[in-house]
Amino acid sequence: MSLVNYATREITCKIVYYGPGRSGKTTNLHYIYGQVPDDRKGRMVSLATQTDRTLFFDFLPLDLGSISGFTTKFQLYTVPGQVYYQATRKLVLQGADGVVFVADSQARQLGENIESFQDLHANLAEQGIDARTVPLVLQYNKQDLPRDLILTTAELSDAINFRSVPEFPADALHGPGVFETLRSIAEVVLKRLSAGTSAGVVAGARG
Amino acid sequence: MNIATVEPWVEAPLRRFVDDARARLALLLHPSGQVIAQAGFTREVDVMSACALAAASHATAGELGRRVDGHAFRSLHYAGPDRQLFLSPVETARGAYICLTVFNAESSLGLVRIYFEELCNDLAAAAPPLPAIRQPTIAADFELDLNRNLAALFGRHHP
Repeated sequence: MSLVNYATREITCKIVYYGPGRSGKTTNLHYIYGQVPDDRKGRMVSLATQTDRTLFFDFLPLDLGSISGFTTKFQLYTVPGQVYYQATRKLVLQGADGVVFVADSQARQLGENIESFQDLHANLAEQGIDARTVPLVLQYNKQDLPRDLILTTAELSDAINFRSVPEFPADALHGPGVFETLRSIAEVVLKRLSAGTSAGVVAGARG
Repeated sequence: MNIATVEPWVEAPLRRFVDDARARLALLLHPSGQVIAQAGFTREVDVMSACALAAASHATAGELGRRVDGHAFRSLHYAGPDRQLFLSPVETARGAYICLTVFNAESSLGLVRIYFEELCNDLAAAAPPLPAIRQPTIAADFELDLNRNLAALFGRHHP
């Protein structure tokens, strides 16, 4: 849930990158971390296994600057994608203002994408949240792989994007699609906040 | 001790707590990992990282407790060679928060626990009720600001 501080005019939003194992969630954050100027980012925290698989989450705080007079900060989290980390995914998802679902474009991973997408909906429902109300953006990662190994954006859209939410082909390792995805989720989350429909923590005196 | 708060009403109770309990650091955060107030943090310990990790640790303990004991474990205590930490929830009219307290040999777990109870009472008494109406906070044409900031953030990578 967004933290809105009227006294200091600050907004803080939590964005969770969700998706199946090895789809590129952590790679998205690493790319963003590598590109954003030092004064606009905090320390990146990764709780990973010895083989660099996400164990609990990755965390990257970003300062988006002033929007409508509010200093706007985004906190980016990833969840561990592997099926058996279900419990930790639920914990990281708590209080999310928006979700980026990172799908693996490889044709052989379609089942995992669908399973993970269903898992996202189930975890939101368990928290009493209607998935249709949560700002969501889809990213079809690994579009740089050979054509014969991957599904097209249209094919992935047909399989996953039944809500017709914003969707982006991406190559998170090299950058294409990464910022477009982040920009889109930022816009959807802020629009929702602007419309006053986001459950938020309101702090301080109204300015 | 240097104290910074997002919500002004937490400052006095938190200041009293860190003084009485002789805490080195204290952090009040929302369970989603967002900071409400901090005391004593310097560049040595990053506040945002500490918030994310404290929220995760609290959520993990709660879920473990529910699985093995049927109820969430509420408080946590970890001890290192020089510093210890105490992590526990605080209930207020503004909702539930988590308090992370770091202390060293100048204090003790017992002392921290005693004054933590006072902190809970003080915060519960000081908390103003939630505003009944939440108005839109952002101008409808915020996209211009957003685009300008994203361009600055991502440099040449953003149109």
